[in-house]
Amino acid sequence: MPDLRPFLVLGLALGGVFALSGVGIVVLYRATGVLNLAYGAVGALGALIAWSLINDLLLPDWVAYLVAVLFGGVVTLLYGMLFGAPLAQRDPLIKAVGTLGFTLILLGTMSWAWSYQAHSLILPTTELGFDVGEVRVNGTQILGLGLGLAVTGVAAAFLRYTKLGVAMRSLANHREITATLGVPVRRVEAAAWFGSGLLSGATGLLLSTLVGLDIVGLTFLVIASLSAALIGRLESLVVTMAAGLAIGVVQAFLTPFDTVGPYRTMTPFLFAIVALLWFGFGQPRLSRA
Amino acid sequence: MSVADEHSTEVSVGGRPARTARAALAGIERPVAVRAGLVAVLFLVVLIGLPGLVSTFWLQIATNVAIYSIVTLSLAVLVGRVGMVSLGQIALLAVGGWVALRLGFGTGLPFPLLLLATGLITGAIGVLIGLPALRLSGLYLALITLMAAAAITVVLQVTNFPNGGSGLLGYSGARAGTVSSALHRPDLLASTSAFFRTVVIVAALMFALAAVHVRSRAGRAWAAIRQSQPSAIAAGVNVTLYKMWAFALASFMTGVAGGLLATSTGGLSTYAFPAQDSITVLAVVLMGGVYSFWGPVVAAVLLKLLPEILKNWGLPPDLLTILFGLGVLQVMLTAPAGLAVQVPKDLANLARLVRRRVAPG
Repeated sequence: MPDLRPFLVLGLALGGVFALSGVGIVVLYRATGVLNLAYGAVGALGALIAWSLINDLLLPDWVAYLVAVLFGGVVTLLYGMLFGAPLAQRDPLIKAVGTLGFTLILLGTMSWAWSYQAHSLILPTTELGFDVGEVRVNGTQILGLGLGLAVTGVAAAFLRYTKLGVAMRSLANHREITATLGVPVRRVEAAAWFGSGLLSGATGLLLSTLVGLDIVGLTFLVIASLSAALIGRLESLVVTMAAGLAIGVVQAFLTPFDTVGPYRTMTPFLFAIVALLWFGFGQPRLSRA
Repeated sequence: MSVADEHSTEVSVGGRPARTARAALAGIERPVAVRAGLVAVLFLVVLIGLPGLVSTFWLQIATNVAIYSIVTLSLAVLVGRVGMVSLGQIALLAVGGWVALRLGFGTGLPFPLLLLATGLITGAIGVLIGLPALRLSGLYLALITLMAAAAITVVLQVTNFPNGGSGLLGYSGARAGTVSSALHRPDLLASTSAFFRTVVIVAALMFALAAVHVRSRAGRAWAAIRQSQPSAIAAGVNVTLYKMWAFALASFMTGVAGGLLATSTGGLSTYAFPAQDSITVLAVVLMGGVYSFWGPVVAAVLLKLLPEILKNWGLPPDLLTILFGLGVLQVMLTAPAGLAVQVPKDLANLARLVRRRVAPG
């Protein structure tokens, strides 16, 4: 039996980021009914922009990171404003396919402007670190897990206790009735797009440090977060977080085993497939009416 | 609800039923005959003429277009006829290629039988994946196919395509690089033009198979399911059976395409089937149009010919990815029937406009 403790650290950090982005996906879905499949691509583009700001324009790191996170918010908001409203009355499938179009636009832009060459982005927190027993833990890993937990807590409290959060929840229930009640629907939706976009920007930065700044890889890591979100039935933030952590840890634990190790990146997909089938059979009407 | 659902009314108003009614009123079926003749002439020109007109390089591209038109056709049938969105079609194509190579190295089946067996086995695999997923609808079916595609991609990268090694997986690291991973072609098909013609004929057979299905009982059942699943059940349609049938048919066709791809020059590599290609395929299929059989042809041209033309002009093919993304959004917003329907409609509108301008009064 190999020593699993270093992998627990890796897994919790990665799981924290999955949880973070899973929460971003769920918040947006609850408010607008859009399953944003471009989530990973937005984060990847943000990370690439940060890379260019640091390496080409020689700006201070913190400016670049701030720009990357803000970029996530702004570009997601822009999509939401341009295409969210016209598609608002349509089926969830159509809305999701729309974000696939958005994904392709972002993917094309990235591979055109940055090409598929290797980039690397290491957050400065990686240099901070301490030892727990014999295992080295670095600052980015703490940041990943901490941000995942904190964002879940803050988002849950936000949806429960603030006026804007309650408006988002009521939007999720019924758009028209919410509008009749005098809630500024477009503004509330814009807030959800922007907030979720900020999270995708942060996710991109963290993942490019923890996993690597790879355009396609980052874009499709959205699937892992999506799995967490699906296990949370696109509704429960706490379950999404727990699922994100579980996926991260299981995936990391498989690493040292030769027979299953090479297949470890399948973990989120298998989690999602099982979850979808389980919910599909348990509750035939999974989709929002 | 599905992509097809939402626009079915729009399409049946502007599309076939109205035209059939007009034809019936006139008491003639000439437009149908003219169209069939046109298709036949075009088919023969491509089949006989094209290999003599273009260089080997472009002929290989054309072969690729023909192979991928089978893939886009299978997805167009799923999306347009049944209203199911699959995001795993490219992974299934890779599975088809794997099966064909495994069968090719493991057995001595003659080429046509090999293709048929590949299609049938891939069809069975598609049903195995699809069967539990059929309880899910719309978005969740799309997601589960995306997850399955991503999982298949991971497995393929570990197991590799068979290259004549031993064991169930048929891959041997020692043989990698020394032998071609392409399936050996029968001597009759050795030349590029002979292979191109074969591919075009197989593709035509697949389109015919799809057309037969659409016009038969299965097509009517699919239309009922697409319009409304509850009413289809009420009308006595066996929804599960016909959905599974559609899945099996689409997987069969994709498997055959995979078999052709495994036989084409250069063989298969695990990096040729990334998960994002399944998204690109859905994008071009939606752009081409899912309600007409021209749609998949347009889609295959967009997917396989256009990038080569751009490269030829010295433009980065990444621009196309952006274009496809914009195309999907445009289709979602304004032109649900895709280019194959939209462009002729736009041209007719333009012609009417010009005629009005030119004609006095």
